Amino acid sequence: MGTSVFLGMSGGVDSALSAALLVERGYDVHAVYMRNWSRDLPGFKCTWADDLADAERVAVTLGVDLEVWDCEREYKETVVDYLVDSYARGLTPNPDVMCNQTVKFGTFAERAFAEGADLVATGHYARTLPPAAPGAPAGLLRAADEHKDQTYFLWRVDGRTLARTLFPVGDVPSKAEVRRMCAERGLGIESKPDSDGICFIGEVGIRPFLLDVLSRQAGDVVEWETGRVLGRHEGAFLFTVGQRKGLDLGGGPARYVVATDVEQNVVYVTADKACPGLWTSELTLSDVRFVAGRPPEDGTYQVRVRHTGALREARVEKVGPVAGEPLRLRVRFPEPVRTVAPGQSCVIYDGLACLGGGMVEKDPRTLPEFARA
Amino acid sequence: MSRPAGPRAAQPRPDLRPAQSPTQRTDAAPARGVYLDYAAATPVAPEVLEAMLPYLTERFYNPSAPYALARGAREDLEAARTTLAHLVGGRPDNVTLTAGATEANNLAVSVASPGAHVVTDAIEHESVLACVEARPHAIVGVGPDGRVDPAAVARAITPETELVTIGLANGEIGTVQPLREVARVVAAERVRRLEAGEGRPIWLHTDASQAAGHLSVNVSTLGVDLMTLSAAKVYGPKQVGLLWAADGVELRPLVLGGGQEGGVRSGTEDVAGAVGFARALELAQARRATESRRLQGLSQRARTNLAAEFPWVRFSGPTKPKRRLPNIVHVSFPGIEARRLVIALERMGVSVGTGSACAASRMRVSHVLDAIGLPRWASEGSLRLSLGVPTTEEDVDLACACIARAAHAEYARIGADECELAAGGAERLFGAGRTRPQEAAPAGRPQEG
Repeated sequence: MGTSVFLGMSGGVDSALSAALLVERGYDVHAVYMRNWSRDLPGFKCTWADDLADAERVAVTLGVDLEVWDCEREYKETVVDYLVDSYARGLTPNPDVMCNQTVKFGTFAERAFAEGADLVATGHYARTLPPAAPGAPAGLLRAADEHKDQTYFLWRVDGRTLARTLFPVGDVPSKAEVRRMCAERGLGIESKPDSDGICFIGEVGIRPFLLDVLSRQAGDVVEWETGRVLGRHEGAFLFTVGQRKGLDLGGGPARYVVATDVEQNVVYVTADKACPGLWTSELTLSDVRFVAGRPPEDGTYQVRVRHTGALREARVEKVGPVAGEPLRLRVRFPEPVRTVAPGQSCVIYDGLACLGGGMVEKDPRTLPEFARA
Repeated sequence: MSRPAGPRAAQPRPDLRPAQSPTQRTDAAPARGVYLDYAAATPVAPEVLEAMLPYLTERFYNPSAPYALARGAREDLEAARTTLAHLVGGRPDNVTLTAGATEANNLAVSVASPGAHVVTDAIEHESVLACVEARPHAIVGVGPDGRVDPAAVARAITPETELVTIGLANGEIGTVQPLREVARVVAAERVRRLEAGEGRPIWLHTDASQAAGHLSVNVSTLGVDLMTLSAAKVYGPKQVGLLWAADGVELRPLVLGGGQEGGVRSGTEDVAGAVGFARALELAQARRATESRRLQGLSQRARTNLAAEFPWVRFSGPTKPKRRLPNIVHVSFPGIEARRLVIALERMGVSVGTGSACAASRMRVSHVLDAIGLPRWASEGSLRLSLGVPTTEEDVDLACACIARAAHAEYARIGADECELAAGGAERLFGAGRTRPQEAAPAGRPQEG
């Protein structure tokens, strides 16, 4: 028997090609469909059964077995509850980051290794750097295709797990090439559209989901500069920094959300793109995590604050840990950048290597002066 | 596969082994596909389409409208109803046209007054079971061949029972029920109630949807009080069905509105559907005897082919040809996942069912296979081949050859020793304790359709 690889298969194009490539490279492939969510939401029929059928077609074509692993409990507890809790606290989380840490490279990988896997694999666009010594953590590298690179969602994955992980599509130069390679192999999946957004919410978007689980609460939309009430909203938790749509202020200039205050249930907006609250040159990161298991030396790195967003030079410095306070990071940009919604991931890179990152903290300076405590 | 049966020990069969490179496409679909799922859906027959077309275009009128053109449509609707009634041995005023068999079954079960007891069997269609389970009820088990024991029906009947519903033939494993004997049981209870001075009625309903192309559906011969039929299973349009109900049976409307169908089923009548249904049932009943014989021969051919290639497979349903539908071959490959076979067959251009369609799409084992006591390690590898009017001997041979190729490839993939299987080792290899743990289905109604 060859090296045994357990592959997470979603029914999508990337994991399908991953399966084919692993089979071609002589691995003993066991495909696993992780069922994370099977509930239909209002207006959105969950596609899990269709996705599973697609995964099955590919598995049968390749002659590999496919099991369904029920991960709904872990997904609910570590991804959905985290998402809801974060929004309720006025943050804008990246649920995919948690899903990768706790489900795909948590539950799935642990169970795979327990069932005898030598390696695990997923269809992520990323690459690994082999560990320096056996048992040491591997490095995480950006994918060959910079436009599809998914390391922004993988920064919380442990380097020791990555040492036993394969990303077969990470070397493929483009998504178009992935589709072409699928077609070439007769997998019958090459024209399936990419999935967007949070998997269980699909195209419906976050708003109906949040309104389903959190209660509406009417509050004021307030002008950041003047404190003037411009309109009403149904809950500050529904709004994200930088958001322009969905404000319903009845005409006037385009306005942007500068900050939200979920305790007072107020949304602060501005019509001025140069509004000081919309710009920052410093971020504080908490809940930090590093692929190598320890923080990098203070210095200048490249950081990214959204998936496939620009890589910016920034000075990264450790803050603490002091007196029971865990380690935090301060990220200073040479010139101001657009304010980042609190709760978003800030990911640190050194060249191609993704080192880890942290969650952007709420910055009290984004609140108008009259509202600061 | 298509070669005549004969001594075949240790014959090489290189063409049936899995492809050398699994990612290379070696199983290009044949020029002509083979469809063997006629119990799920039949194409509309050309004669039926021809009969229907004028009612979709120039004779589109609402049968309830007051002018002469509409009266023509009304007369044609009633003529279709009369044809249908005569084909089941009844009168037109006892026929209610519905949107398919599911609605007819719903209507049939609702003849029992609220709170009254209903008796059915464990292998009925979901449209019957779902209605029955919403009331006080008893579900009679079936034997390993799927047959209902009339004595068990007699035991299940209580003084509160108002309806017994037993399908004439099962669409999944093909079992034909001893309906006349069940009718005698119901008649005996009726006599008992008469003598005891009990006023509660008791009716016998049968869902004959799957049987209408192959068996007599004469209500007097069957001895039933209500009968469901579907156009969709006899080369007619989908969403067209009927419920025949004897004099004295009071139907309770489920669809309220303009009072069409004698107030039992409101909604503008589907004249095209009724005309198509009448023509379809006419054709089906006319060719029933010869077509049944032909299909019986083809089914037997499929069984012989598959049993020669895989001596360990299990065929479900009664062994006596008279006790099963002639067009259904239900075969289980122990240890194999039927869903994988279906995908492999689809790629070879062969369309077959796994168990019952609804159960399959939700990854549940069919309630029918559980009811006949088929172990999971066999039922999960079940295919249902259902043959139809267009099916030829070549179709059967090609389908069997493709099934053989797919199943051999699967057995090779999972590393099952076919010699051991042939020596009777299926249960040892796949039986209790050897199966992989099954994933629980997501929360929902158990035994859903």
